[in-house]
Amino acid sequence: MKPYMSQEMLTFPFLFLAIFFESFVLVTLLSKPARAARARVPGEAAPSVAVIVPCWNEATTVAATCESLLALDYPADKLEIILVDDGSTDATPAAMAPFAAHPQVRVIRKENGGKHTALNTGIAVTKAEFIGCLDADSFVDPAALREIVPCFAKPEVAAVTAAMSIHQPGNMIQHMQNAEYTFGITLRHTLASINGLYVTPGPFSFYRHETIKELGGFRHGHQTEDMEMALRLQHAGYEIENAPRARVYTKSPDTVMKLIKQRTRWTSGFLRNVLGEYRSLIWSRKHGVLGMLILPISLIAVVSTLLLFSVTLFHLGQSAITALQIRAGIPLAYAYLPHGSFDWFYFPSSFYILLGATTLLTSLSLIIVGKRISETPGRIGVGLVSYALLYGLVVPLWLARATADVTLGKNRGWRA
Amino acid sequence: MSLVTRNVIIALAITLVLAGTVAYAVDYLNRARINELSTMEDQISIDTLSLDTQFSLLEAAPCDSIASSTTLISSLADLGNRLSYAEGQLGSDNAQVIRLKQQYSLLEIRDYLITKQLAAACGTKPVTVLYFYSNAGDCADCDKAGYALSYLRTTYPGLRVYSFDYNLDLGALKTLVGISKVRDTLPAFVIDGKRSYGFTSLAALEKQFPKGALATSTTAHP
Repeated sequence: MKPYMSQEMLTFPFLFLAIFFESFVLVTLLSKPARAARARVPGEAAPSVAVIVPCWNEATTVAATCESLLALDYPADKLEIILVDDGSTDATPAAMAPFAAHPQVRVIRKENGGKHTALNTGIAVTKAEFIGCLDADSFVDPAALREIVPCFAKPEVAAVTAAMSIHQPGNMIQHMQNAEYTFGITLRHTLASINGLYVTPGPFSFYRHETIKELGGFRHGHQTEDMEMALRLQHAGYEIENAPRARVYTKSPDTVMKLIKQRTRWTSGFLRNVLGEYRSLIWSRKHGVLGMLILPISLIAVVSTLLLFSVTLFHLGQSAITALQIRAGIPLAYAYLPHGSFDWFYFPSSFYILLGATTLLTSLSLIIVGKRISETPGRIGVGLVSYALLYGLVVPLWLARATADVTLGKNRGWRA
Repeated sequence: MSLVTRNVIIALAITLVLAGTVAYAVDYLNRARINELSTMEDQISIDTLSLDTQFSLLEAAPCDSIASSTTLISSLADLGNRLSYAEGQLGSDNAQVIRLKQQYSLLEIRDYLITKQLAAACGTKPVTVLYFYSNAGDCADCDKAGYALSYLRTTYPGLRVYSFDYNLDLGALKTLVGISKVRDTLPAFVIDGKRSYGFTSLAALEKQFPKGALATSTTAHP
C-alpha cells in the first residue's frame, strides 16, 4: 500500500458525501415542487412593499442602488424605498441627499449601531405589507420584485430570497465568485422547494412585515443578521421561498484578502448561530430537511473541506518536494520541460482523483443550471474556469480562519 | 414516503452508481495498463529471440544484428518507464507487477548478454550500466539515481542502461548479482564492469564512466 493511501481513504467518506449532496440537489431540482416554482409566473398583484437600504460608508454605490430600485417594474404608490444611513463617516449622506425629495424615497440618518439596527429603524417607519432589504452595494433587475411577490402566496411563507450574481465581474477572483453565486442560485432554488434554506441574503430578500414584527425584528446575529433571521424563521416553523428569476447583482471583493475577510465573517456567523442559539435545529425531525440534512451536511462540509484541502496540499507538497529533490543537479531543459506526447498510460487515475473530478464536474453542471434557470445574461465561461482553478484553493483559507476564530472566541470588525 | 426521503434514497443510489463507476474505471485503466505491458513484453520477447536467432544465423557476419539491438534497447527503456509508473499506481507488492518485473528483468539480462556477444564479435565498445535499486524503502537515493540515469540514457542514446530491483525474487537476477559481485548497498552501479555504490549527484555519477565514454557513446557503433 502506498504511504499516503490511508490519508486518501480518510477523504473517501467526505467525497461520497459531496457527491451524495450534489445528487440530492439534482434529484430535487427535477422534483415536482422545484418544477412548480420554476413555472411560477409574475402576477398582477401589487401589495405594498418597502425596501430598506442600510448604508454604512457606501457613498460610491448607494445612488446606483437607489436608482435601480426606482426602476423596478412596480406601481409607484405601492413601493417605498427607505435609505438608512447608519452613521456613515464618508460622503454617504451627500450621495443620499438628491433622493430625499423623491416621493417614493425616505432618507433616515441615525447613529452607527450596526446593520441590524439600520434595518429595524427602516421597519419601524413603514406600514408596508412586505419588507425588502437591499445591501447598498447591490442593484436589482427591473422585473425582480414582480418575481418575488407571487412567492408569498402561501401564508406559511415568511421570507423570499432572490437570485444573486456578481455585478460586472472584472478579475478572476470576481469571476470565480460569480460562478459560486450562480451555483448558489441553483442551491437556493432547489432547497427552497423543500424548505431547506438557512439564510436570507442581504441583496433583495423579502419578509412578511407582520412576521418580522412578531419575531422582534433583526438582531446582531454574530454579524450575520440575515442568517440569524432565516434560522429564527425556520425555528418558528415558517417557510422561506426563493424566486429564481428575481435577479439582483451585487458588488464583490476584488482581492483574495478582502474576500477572505468577508467570508470569514459569514462562516463564523454561521458556526456561531448554528452551534449556539439554533443548535436545537440540528437533527431536528420537526424541522425536516433543514434539520436532518442541510445543517448537518453544512457543518460536515466545513470539516471535510479543510480535511480534503489538507490531504491535497500534503500530496501536492510531497510530490513537489520529491520532484525537486529528484531533479536536483539535472539540466533544466531535461528536468522541467515536457518531453514526449500525451500517452493515456500515464493518465492519473486514482479513486481519489476521479471521485474529486466527478464532484467538480457536477458542481460546474449545477452552475450552468443556475445560469439557465435564473436566465441571467452574460457569459459564465471565465467564471467556470476560475471556479475550477481557484475555488478549492481559497475556500479552506476562510474556513480555517473562521473555525479558528470561533474556537478561540475571537471577534473581528465588520470589514476586518 | 415523503418527497425528501424518496430523493435521499435516489441520491444515495446515484452516489453508489457513480462511486462504483469510478471504481470500475480505475480498475479498467489499471487492467488496460497491465495488458499493454504484457503486450509490450511479448513483443520485446519476440524481438529479443529474433535478435538472438539473427545473431546465430549470421555467424559469418554477426555485426549485421547491431541495428536491431539498438532499436531494442529504446523499447526496453520505454517498457521500464511504464512498468515503473504501473508499480507506483498498483503497488510494488502487486502480483501482476512482480510477474511483469520478472519478465522485464529477464529481457534486460538477455539483451545485456547479446550486447556483450555483439561487442566481442564486432569489436565495438558500447557503454553498459547495470543499475540496482530497491523499492523497499531502504534506498533514499534510488529515485534520484534512476532519474539521473534516465537523463543520461536520453542524452546519450548509445548508452545501455539496465535497471534491476535488487530484491526481486528471480534466479537469473540473483546469478547476475552474484557474478557481478554487487553488495546490497543501494543504489549500486556496474559501469563497464566497474562497481560503485551510492548516489550524490549527476556530476559524480558521470565521473564513474570511462573517460570519453559519454561523449562518444552516441557513435559507439560503427
